[in-house]
Formats: sequence, structure tokens, C-alpha cells
Amino acid sequence: MSNDMDDTHPSLTAFEQVASDPLGYAQRHKEATGRLVIGSFPMHFPGELAHAAGTLPTIIQESEDPITAGHGMVHPFYCGYTRSVVDQAVKEEFGVLDAIMFGDHCVQVLGAADTVRSLLPKAKVHFYQLISSMSDPWSFERARETFVQAREGMEELVGRSIDDADLAASVRTFNHNRQLIRRIYELRREGLCDLTARQLQHVVKSSMVMDKDEHNALMETLVADVEAGEGPRTGGVRVYLSGHFCQAPKPELLDLIEECGGVVVDDDLYHGQRYISTDVSEELEGMDGLAHWYQERNLRVPCPTRVDQNADWEEHLLGQMERARADAMIVLMAKFCEPHMYYYPEIKEAFERRGVPHLLLETEHEMGTFEPMRTRVETFLEIARRQRAGKAVA
Amino acid sequence: MSTLRVDHTTPSGAGAAGAGTLAGALSATPGLAEAVPGLPTSELKKANRLQTSALNNKLVNDYWTDVFNAKEEGKLVCWYEGVAINPIMQAADIRWVHGEAWSALLAARKNEGPAQDASEERGYGAELCSYARTHIGCGVLSQKRGKEASGASFADALGAGTLAENVPEPDLFISAYPYCSTGQQWDEMLYRLFGKKVPIFNISIPWVWGNKPDARFLGGEEFEEAVTFLTKQLEACVAWLEEITGKPYPWDRLYEIMGYTKEAGQLRMEAMKLCSARPSPASFFDWTTSIAPVNFVPGGPPIVDYFTQVKAEIQQRVTDGVGSIPNERYRLFWDGIMNWNKIGWLANKFAGYDATIVAGRYTHMGFWHIHDVIDVQDPLRGMAINYLVCPINLSGPLMIDEICKLSEEYEIDGVVLHAARTCRAFSNPQFMIGNAVSKRLGLATASFEGDMVDDAFYKDELVNSRVEAMLEGIDARRLVRA
Repeated sequence: MSNDMDDTHPSLTAFEQVASDPLGYAQRHKEATGRLVIGSFPMHFPGELAHAAGTLPTIIQESEDPITAGHGMVHPFYCGYTRSVVDQAVKEEFGVLDAIMFGDHCVQVLGAADTVRSLLPKAKVHFYQLISSMSDPWSFERARETFVQAREGMEELVGRSIDDADLAASVRTFNHNRQLIRRIYELRREGLCDLTARQLQHVVKSSMVMDKDEHNALMETLVADVEAGEGPRTGGVRVYLSGHFCQAPKPELLDLIEECGGVVVDDDLYHGQRYISTDVSEELEGMDGLAHWYQERNLRVPCPTRVDQNADWEEHLLGQMERARADAMIVLMAKFCEPHMYYYPEIKEAFERRGVPHLLLETEHEMGTFEPMRTRVETFLEIARRQRAGKAVA
Repeated sequence: MSTLRVDHTTPSGAGAAGAGTLAGALSATPGLAEAVPGLPTSELKKANRLQTSALNNKLVNDYWTDVFNAKEEGKLVCWYEGVAINPIMQAADIRWVHGEAWSALLAARKNEGPAQDASEERGYGAELCSYARTHIGCGVLSQKRGKEASGASFADALGAGTLAENVPEPDLFISAYPYCSTGQQWDEMLYRLFGKKVPIFNISIPWVWGNKPDARFLGGEEFEEAVTFLTKQLEACVAWLEEITGKPYPWDRLYEIMGYTKEAGQLRMEAMKLCSARPSPASFFDWTTSIAPVNFVPGGPPIVDYFTQVKAEIQQRVTDGVGSIPNERYRLFWDGIMNWNKIGWLANKFAGYDATIVAGRYTHMGFWHIHDVIDVQDPLRGMAINYLVCPINLSGPLMIDEICKLSEEYEIDGVVLHAARTCRAFSNPQFMIGNAVSKRLGLATASFEGDMVDDAFYKDELVNSRVEAMLEGIDARRLVRA
């Protein structure tokens, strides 16, 4: 449905092109600048470190291609992201990457890290396991130590030390990028942004891939355009999207929700609000700042891959729904995503207790047809619409 | 292929035995020589089970009986998963429920269904760890009743099983899961399920990855750092237990327990090494049956006595030339976790193929196998080392090296890769392992899906065809070599 190549927001054309071919962008950037390209896995590795080392940090994305050769190295009962990454590695599509750095602990990602290392003997494949228990007395210090190790690994990779001033500058650049994207999100919540969910995904996904200065320049234009735009999008059921961590939801699915009468007003997707939720402190020393950021973002947008006695994802979602004046929530769960599967019942029960409409949609890398999903979404949105009308009457 | 085909029928259930009494129910741990219904036993080759394995039943019975009686005896109960931290609790006079052991026992009794149904009804997907689903399902059932105390809360939901009626609810949780993110999340969900009212202690166990050139098995800068980090957490856990119990921690008691544990671990490894003999006097299936005494049974003289007797029986078999199957033609390695409701079935299946599963990653690469690093007068660091090098916590290169060493030590012909559908921690490196043993050692491999405690993922005919293909491959290689 959507095509970003319109005259209203020219920046979107660039974003869409990068989002649809992340490794192609990295290759062009490398050829143009001579910079090393550092691939990282979602969802917690700080690109600031790689940026400060003078490299291009790029978050490795799920490919749209069918998974074929990769199934010789990964079982079929793994999430689409993991299988896709292994598939890309088997097909030697990561040639542009000089190194890959992992920081997560989801068991499927750990498996992918091991497999990718075995498949890419020429690339440096580092793993820096961030502590996933967030509220222990040693959580902050452990996260800090891990970032120190990652910094040392990065320095070894580029053959020089990372200057504190450079890291501070990178933090400012990344913060600015997050702030610009968050501005778009604010406008969307207020109904003052005419971007579709697909377009918002391109904005965020391209930020994960592009040189941040380049992205910031395009974002400045986009924000100005949107602020000067035609005003609120009206009508439709206000939908909050939740879930989908490492990989972006299929744009076709986002289109479908909007075609069925939904207006996506907010989300906690990784290719969305989760990615840009939290700035790194510009006051704290570099590694302290990153450790603080790591803990803080789990409080701002709780992540089911973490355990945190100070965070409740379900309560967070209910609060965000209220803030966005959303009528309904659609949960997008990637098939085989264990962290999400563990946490979903907590959300389901909390939403049922509050009488907030929600719908679980399980997604796959291999989405054959969206039509069965269309029927479910149409029905769900009709229920939500009637419930909203009922409340209005009451 | 037909020359290899053996008789197969529906897997016999281990849970049929011993219903009605606590002792009987506990004795329902899968046996190694179950008869296959519908066929005269004389027509089948069966595994030659270690006689001393029967002694394991008493150890397990006594353990669960202590657990069931915990509340009546005024003892605190800890629910935990993952590595064998039970000595730490035992010293503090706390009873412990090991989630995997509990789920495996329910599966062995064919009593896992209601708990798994309860977890599914609450919304937990069937692709989640089946151990976790079963264990959390028990929590769901108890929460539905809203009962605070232990006892009858599990009873009607889990049917007539006496085990189900007796497992007490937790007074504390400890999460100490290596490698697998699911373990920590499983404990977190239990914590939330019980209303965040039961205190929880999280121990984070770093994955042994190896960024630096000096990384090696049991060594290197990163490993040393991980050992130190984990040891500090164990110390903090002990301090936390002092708060929970309101008593000073009895370190002398822990030293004593770890003395027995170390000795049991040493005897087990010595007995395992005797299986390099041909025919192998014991199999992977014997060692799975013997996991409990080095996993969750209390540390004390009985576990030392158990492995003393196991070793003696194995030594006698070596002397007498007796194997764990009637006719050993193939020696195999089992990679992956056990299919707990099919131990006996699989033991007999491979006996029918004249194939001994001599060793396995699950049994031979964990459970106090690095016993010599334990200083019984200061055991936490040695315990941490053992936790860090458990069967799933080594990254691929280190793990593959260890598997290759075992394959050479035990003169392995082929590797069975049991891809436990819901245990991705074990399934993760299996393609790398298969490739490595094939390239380095020229071994044949067979891969099939199964699961720890969810029957639905096991497809027997697929297992047959893949194992038979592997064995034919081994035969073909032998012919070429000849």
C-alpha cells in the first residue's frame, strides 16, 4: 500500500531505501568513507561505542529473503530473526561487516552468535553479555564492567583508544537522533502527524542502520515538515502496538491494521518507541552513563528479555495506552520468541482485569498470506469501536 | 535398511508402575529394561541395566519424601532451577524443589498433562520450555485455588498422583540458570505468579564465550573473571539466606556436604571412564538414571555409597566382559538433553540396534565432573567453576573440543543429536557439533527432534529411519576401511 516516495516528506524516501537494503547502505557508506562497519545485534548494544571509535555501527536486520541455506545451521523452531541472521551468514551476505558485536542473552540469540562466529572466520565476532537481572545490588556495576570490556574490544578492533571526548560527542549525536524521532512520536500521539505506521518503521529502522549525522539531518527536515503539516489524522480506532523485539514487523501487517480502520497512535516495538525511549546521560562519565542508560531504559520501556523487580511491563502498557488515548492494543508476537511468550500471560490478565481490548497476533518470517489476519483484525477493531462508543454513551 | 530394522511399538509408559502409594509413585522413574507391550520379551534385545541403578530409587524417594514433609517439619522450601546449588540450601536446613526434576518426575508418571494444560490455559505457548511450562503450570494450579499453604492445592488438578498432593509451595526462589535465558524468565514468572510476595535471589551465570586469545577450557582471563563474579554472587546468596533464616550460615556444614559431593563426583567420573572398555559396561541411559544423586539428592554418605556401588558393578562387568547391551556393534555419543519419558524405550531401542550410547554431553560434561577443583574447606569457587562449565554453558569451540575428546576416549562411531524442541539451550550448537565431529573425526551423525517432558515432539518413526541411516553409514565406512 504505502509508498514513501512522496513530495510531502522527502526524507522518507531516503529512510525507506535504507530500511529496505541495510547492508547495501553499509557497503556504500564504507566505500564512500573508508570507515569500518560494525554490525551489532539488537536490542541492547550501545552504538555510541562503535560510533566514537570512528566506525559505522549498524544493527543487523532480519532479511526479507526466504530462509534456505541457513536451515543447515539452525533448527526450524527458532525465531525468524535468528534464522534469518544465520541464513544471511551462510549466504555470505555479511561481507561488509568488519566485526559483529553481541550483547544480548536471549538463548536463541546466543545460539546465533555461536553459529555466526563459526561461519565468519574472517570477521571479529565479539560477545559482551550484559547482565539481564536488572535490580540486583551488582547490576549497575556489572553492566558498567561489560561496557568497559566492549570498549576495550572496540579499541582493539580499530587499533586505537576511544577518546572520552569522542564518546561524549557520540552520545550527544545519538541523543539528538532519539529526541528527533521521539518528537515525531509525540506528534503522532497528539494526532498531529500524518505518517503511517509503515513510514514510522522506516524512520526507526533506518536510524538503526545509517550514519547518525546523516540521519539527523534528514530527521530535522522531517520534523519540520510534519510540524508544518496539515494537522490531525482523524477517525479510526486508536491502536497501540506492542511486542516484536529484535525484528521489525512486516510492513504489510502495519498496512493491514490501518486498512482495517486502525490508526496506530503509539507503540513499544523495538523498531519503534523501545529503540528511542531513553537518552544516555551527558552528565555522567562515559561508562557510567551507558550503564545508567541500560538500566533506565528498562524502567521506561520494560523488556521481557530482562528480569527487573522494579518494572512491570503490563502496568507500563496500560499507562502508555492511557497516555496515547488508545482504544485497543494489538500484541505482535514473533513465533518462537520465548521472552515474549513468558511475559504475555501477565499482559493478557492485566488487560482483561481492566477491560482493555487487546488482540494477540503471532507473526512469522514466512508470512504466506495476511488475509486470515485481516478478518481477525477487522473483527477486533469493530469490537473496540463498539466498546469505545459504549463508553462515550455511558 | 531392513537389516537394521528392529521391532517398534508404542513407547511403554514408565508411569504405569507404582501408582497408589508414595513409594510406588516415586519408584516410577523410568526403568531401563521395560517390556514392550504386545511382543514376547524373548524376541527383543533389551538394555542390560545396571543393577545398582535400583538403589537410586531409594535416594530419590527419600529426597522427595523430605520435600513433601517440609512444612510439617517446619522447614523452609526453596524452588529453584538450573545448576546444583542444593548444597548451599542443604547446609542452611532449607528443603529444595528442583523444577526440572519435579517436571521430569511428573512426566515419568504421565502426570504432566494437567500442569501443562494449566499453563497453556493461562497463555503460555507450547513452544516454551516444557520443564518451565510444567513447573509454572503447577504454580498456576495452586494459585487458582488461592491457597497459601502447601498440601492439597495440587491434588485434584494433577489427578490422583500422590506426588502432586505433597509438593509444598515456595518460601523463597533462587534463580541460577546457566546460559539459557529461559531459566531466569521462568523463575521471574513464578515470582510474579506468586504475587511478588515470595523473595527471590537471582544469580547471573556468564556464558563462557571467549573473546580473548587466551580463552580455553577452564582458563583464560575471561573465565577467571567469570569465576570471580559468580563466586561473589554465591557469597551474596549465602548472606541472603542468613537474612531469610535469621541464622548464621553453617559453613562447616557446607564443607561437609561438599566433601561428600566431591567424592561422589569423583567416583562417578571414575566409573564413567571404565566405560571405555569394550563392550561398554554401562550406557548413557544408566548415567541419566544416575543424575539425581549429583543433581538434587542431598549430599551425604548415601550418594558416596551409591557411586561406590555403581563403580564396583561396572568394574565387575569389565572384568567379566559384560556389556550394557547384549551385542555391542556400534558405540555412540548422545548430544542433547534426555527425553525423560522415554529413557527405557530408547535404551531398548538402541540395544535392538546393537548400539551402545556410551557417553553424552548431558551426563559426561556436567554434574561435578570437574570435581578436583573443589576445595572442601572453601568450596564456593570450585562450585562456581563447575556451574560455569556445565553441559550448556560453553560456547561452541570449547564445547566441541570437549565432545571430540570424549568421542576419542570412548572410541565413538557416531553421534546422535537429540534436538529437544523446547530446550534451545541444548539444541543451539548441534549443527556445529555435527559438522565438527564429522570433519575432525569422520563420525556419522543422526539428528531427530524430541523433548524433555512433552511427548508431542517425539516422532518415533523418524527416529528409526535416521538412526538406521546413520548405522548404515557406519557400516559403509567400516567396509571402506576394511
